[in-house]
Amino acid sequence: MRFSFTEEQRQMRDALRSSLTESCPSGRVRAAWKTPDAALRIELAEQGILAINLPEDAGGLGLGAQDWVLLAEELGLVAAPVNLIETLATNPTLAAIGALDLASQVGTGAEFVALEEPGGFALDADKAAGILAVRDGRVGWLRDATLIAETSVDGTRRPFKVDGRFEAVDADATDLLDRAALVAAAELVGLSRRMLDLAVEYSKSRRQFGKPIGSFQAVQHHLVDALQRIAFAAPAVYRAAWSVDTNHPNRSVHVSMAKVYASEAALFTGRKALQVHGAIGYTFEYDLHMWMKRAWTLSSAWGDVRHHTDRVGQFVMSGGQDA
Amino acid sequence: MDMSFSAEEELFREEVRTWLGEHLVGDFARLRGRGGLGDMDAFVEERIAWEQELGRGGWTGLAWSKESGGRGASLVEQVIFLEEYARSRAPGRAGHIGEGLLGPTVAAFGTDAQKARFLAPILAGTEIWCQGYSEPNAGSDLAALQTRAVRDGDNWVIDGQKVWTSLAMVSQWCFVLARTGAGSSRHEGISCLLVRMDQPGVRVVPIRQMTGNAEFAEVFFDGATTPVDHVVGPVDGGWKVAMHTLAHERGASTLGQQADFTNELRALVQVAKDNGAANDPGIRDRLAELWMRLKVMRLTALRTLSAHDRGELPREAMITKLFWATWHRDLGELAMDVLGPDAAVLREGHDHDLHRLFLWTRSDTIYAGTNEIQKNLIAQRALGMPR
Repeated sequence: MRFSFTEEQRQMRDALRSSLTESCPSGRVRAAWKTPDAALRIELAEQGILAINLPEDAGGLGLGAQDWVLLAEELGLVAAPVNLIETLATNPTLAAIGALDLASQVGTGAEFVALEEPGGFALDADKAAGILAVRDGRVGWLRDATLIAETSVDGTRRPFKVDGRFEAVDADATDLLDRAALVAAAELVGLSRRMLDLAVEYSKSRRQFGKPIGSFQAVQHHLVDALQRIAFAAPAVYRAAWSVDTNHPNRSVHVSMAKVYASEAALFTGRKALQVHGAIGYTFEYDLHMWMKRAWTLSSAWGDVRHHTDRVGQFVMSGGQDA
Repeated sequence: MDMSFSAEEELFREEVRTWLGEHLVGDFARLRGRGGLGDMDAFVEERIAWEQELGRGGWTGLAWSKESGGRGASLVEQVIFLEEYARSRAPGRAGHIGEGLLGPTVAAFGTDAQKARFLAPILAGTEIWCQGYSEPNAGSDLAALQTRAVRDGDNWVIDGQKVWTSLAMVSQWCFVLARTGAGSSRHEGISCLLVRMDQPGVRVVPIRQMTGNAEFAEVFFDGATTPVDHVVGPVDGGWKVAMHTLAHERGASTLGQQADFTNELRALVQVAKDNGAANDPGIRDRLAELWMRLKVMRLTALRTLSAHDRGELPREAMITKLFWATWHRDLGELAMDVLGPDAAVLREGHDHDLHRLFLWTRSDTIYAGTNEIQKNLIAQRALGMPR
């Protein structure tokens, strides 16, 4: 029993953290609301992150969810305007169906493979070399796709309604969608951590009635409640990563738990952070709303709380055993 | 990361399971499922005998160092023991205050003579301890305590009152926080005294709870005495000792509860299936939600065990009490909703257990630090928010 990350895994996390601190301040997220940030994908590719879970013969590192889960959390922390979910989810699928050339192009950032999320949207589908989708429990390409652009509540995201001729491939649909939900969950944990940090810092500096508002119990309890959600979401996400890597028989249940917890933590923390900030948090100029909007979109994507709670509910009510 | 137990750990699990299976028989068999929190006044004498049986088997003081006479078990082994203990539905431990709170405190702060005198009887289950902290005017604000001890020759003479003292009725000893310093106030001038309960100056009055049980009591000290060498830690420096003990109460010693909680939730799922409540999507969701929260508690505990990440963990460890207290309260409420209209009627069997669960869980968010006090501490210590 060793529920902790390896030295190497934490070093990778630390390296990404220091590079993002420098390269991805909130101003860059804000800029991506106006112009899509194509450069960030390339920067991540240069750090090996887009190819982290590709096999070595596709130019990848051959690593698993335990290796990328902390990296996804870091990208969430800075609300990085980049579609990592699709890439980390589809990489093993591309490898499984033998699309190694395409996979290696994805790994270098030269190509992007879109993935339709179960809600019916595919991000950046117009720029994709291919669109993968799950229909009736099967994975396949959407060929000759028609795209209808939609506007996301999160201005850094470019969703499209997609349809096309479905060309099934031989890959596991559940594992594909589970991976996507897990990346989303990890990003949501990162988003939550930053929203909490923003609120804590604000509560220490903002003074009313002659003292910092962070000294008032009503304010403190809001933020402790948020901390509690985050502190318990993170281990659920990390364990799900292990379960995915080891093909644990309950891995889907573990992913569902992670997604439920991370979604609720992010929605809850966003609400509390906004309340603690008061009116300034409600402005477009202040950063908080960009984190909240990412949290709203990610919590409803890749299976919302309702969907994943139901999956767990079926498991529990059927007498499923889980340590 | 490796979320499975090693072969060695599984072997230890087998050893625990086998021992419990072989010893929870005869007179002890009827103690299964009894004497836990909320039921601590049930079968007390029999549970003390069980404590002694555990002691003979070497299963007390698992977490204690070998030097203190304990087993020096690893944290993972402790978890395994607690899980198997709950799985076998072995009874609530009569000696848990001695083993979990006083023993570790004596081991950390006591003199050699105190260790020699007090540790072995705790391990053997022959001396039961209670904790004399709370007072009528010192609850959440423990530093407001007023019980006083005055030096008289070779003795301390103690006057004052403690309250909410679990198992005071059957304890031979109490560790008492009292003011000993001249001009003592708040955290200064407090000492931690070890006081024999069986003496004329000590009077115990049980308190009847909402559940109908009487697990705790008022304890009146009226000229009670204890020898001067029965102070743990420095005279007038007992606050630090008391905080050390509370850290145990709020921390590692709560790990075993999760296994008990699992039993309770499983029983509730069964009742919901039997009475049809499980067909209600609202009830199903809440059962699933409680199941997830319980699993997350376990994950957090397991993560705490993995020393490697220790630098990142204090935040999570501090939140444990708040989390399980709220979880258990919610479980109690869901139990009543699963019963539906039957919740208003007291019956034997399952329903009875659920009612006891419901009533007892009204206290979880209050004892061992209310949710509000926990949140104040977490805000200041984990989030660094100003006082």
